[in-house]
Amino acid sequence: MKNSRRLFLKSACAVVVAASGYTIAKSSTESVEIDGKKYALVHDETKCIGCDACSIACREVNQVPEGVSRLKIEREGPYGEYPDQYFRFTRKSCQQCEDTPCVKVCPTGAAYKDPETGIVSVDSWKCVGCQYCIAACPYQVRFINPVTHAADKCDFCKETRLKEGKQPACVSACPTQALTFGDLKDPESNIVKVLKSAPNYRSKTELGTRPKVFRIASREGEVTL
Amino acid sequence: MSPFHFDGLVWHWPIAIYLFLAGVSAGAITFAILLKHFKLGNNAYKSGFIQAACLIAPLSVFAGLGILVLDLTKPFDFWKILVFYNGTSVMSVGVAVLMIYQLILFAWLICVFKEPVLNWCHGRWPLVNRLLSALAKHEPSITGFLTILALSLGAYTGFLLSALTTYPMLNNPVLPLLFLISGLSSGAAGTLLGGVLLKGNPDGKEVHFIHNIEIPIILVELVLLFTFFIGLIISGGQSKIAALTAIGEGFWGWVFWGGIIIVGLSLPLAFNLFMKASSKRKFSYVAITASCSLIGVFLLRNFILYTGQMTVA
Ligand code: SF4
Ligand code: SF4
Ligand code: SF4
Repeated sequence: MKNSRRLFLKSACAVVVAASGYTIAKSSTESVEIDGKKYALVHDETKCIGCDACSIACREVNQVPEGVSRLKIEREGPYGEYPDQYFRFTRKSCQQCEDTPCVKVCPTGAAYKDPETGIVSVDSWKCVGCQYCIAACPYQVRFINPVTHAADKCDFCKETRLKEGKQPACVSACPTQALTFGDLKDPESNIVKVLKSAPNYRSKTELGTRPKVFRIASREGEVTL
Repeated sequence: MSPFHFDGLVWHWPIAIYLFLAGVSAGAITFAILLKHFKLGNNAYKSGFIQAACLIAPLSVFAGLGILVLDLTKPFDFWKILVFYNGTSVMSVGVAVLMIYQLILFAWLICVFKEPVLNWCHGRWPLVNRLLSALAKHEPSITGFLTILALSLGAYTGFLLSALTTYPMLNNPVLPLLFLISGLSSGAAGTLLGGVLLKGNPDGKEVHFIHNIEIPIILVELVLLFTFFIGLIISGGQSKIAALTAIGEGFWGWVFWGGIIIVGLSLPLAFNLFMKASSKRKFSYVAITASCSLIGVFLLRNFILYTGQMTVA
């Protein structure tokens, strides 16, 4: 009796440890090799004038309801003395992470990365609205769509403009060509050329998310510590 | 920044209640197992404390799950969590643990209350008799599994939050341990409070047994809280800001020092030590001590959930 109980406990513990170890090891080595495209976006902050044409176009094309948004242009400033004042504009939208916190935590797999395009999307039917992904996104760009009650965010217009073979709405709407969209895997593409021509940065890379929204920094802005 | 509304807040108080109830359930059943195994044996079902724990454990886990489902933006789609599975999601793993936990929990409850159930049936249904005996034969295995599942459930609520890299205060390896330990102490408190309300003897061996475990648990909880915040402060950057926002001035600072440290931990510790020294335990002592612990753990869940979301990486 005593022996069998001890044996039971030992084996039960071994099973628990092995199972959790396996899950963790699997999740950390799992890197889906994608054969298709790898779409990315550049926001050239030196060209951006903060006109909001992009966010308005996004709302129209993707039918984003009032009160929520897939894209915001954030304004910092003004810096400098009048009349030489300037602002700094940064883009707040899904960063299309390569290593995706939102996809990892989603219990149903409703948050997923499309293997063809590398675009992170939401299957609104599968989503139950637990909001775990919203909490997990370090860029705080996900929201619950008040119409579908599912999680929502920028999907590089995958279901709208991209489907029609066009550029994303925000890219086409930008009057200063501050936005460049394209396939990182195509060395001849515009986006690769832009990225090679100017030093750029990405947001919160220290978190290991490998975002695919690149930024060309405006000279303006504060020096912060 | 208002304490209950601020940028970056995603999960509100229903989640805190869920985290609290899951911990209470795991803790209560752990103490029921310990009491039965080490103190009461086959007569366990006669004890008011065992009865309390066996009521609290299933009820609180049901209530917690109910709140969780209602808090979904699509509550009628909750079944999709059960059908689809994502091995990398702490929530998926947790839901699986919760489901198996409930199954084994009921198997164990049946084993504990086998005798009264059989008496009540008067051998009218031979099938029930055979089923119960078959289950009871496996009681040692069921007990073992239930212990492991209860501890997993207690830690899971902590893992659920610590998996969020967004918030430096939550993304902390001490959190699952802290949740497990405080969950155990809330389970002990629930068992004690329910037990004396169900006419359990406030000076009985069950109370002595639980109180003896409670003192080290409170001390470990204090050490874990200390480690948690010192770790954050030493890491610097956003972690330090998060820690100082949480335990500094303002509403949540009061909750932490007044509610968690003084009411939730120091008072129960003092009462426990006092009761150990004085000869006899009274109903009021046991009830007040247990209530303080419960309030403390409830506040801790809210405190961690809200202050954790205040600072973004
Ligand atoms: S930015 Fe947020 S929503 Fe977009 S892929 Fe990354 S984690 Fe997901
Ligand atoms: S809100 Fe929807 S997409 Fe986000 S984690 Fe929950 S089920 Fe997945
Ligand atoms: S790519 Fe499409 S969905 Fe994303 S911000 Fe631009 S317009 Fe909106």
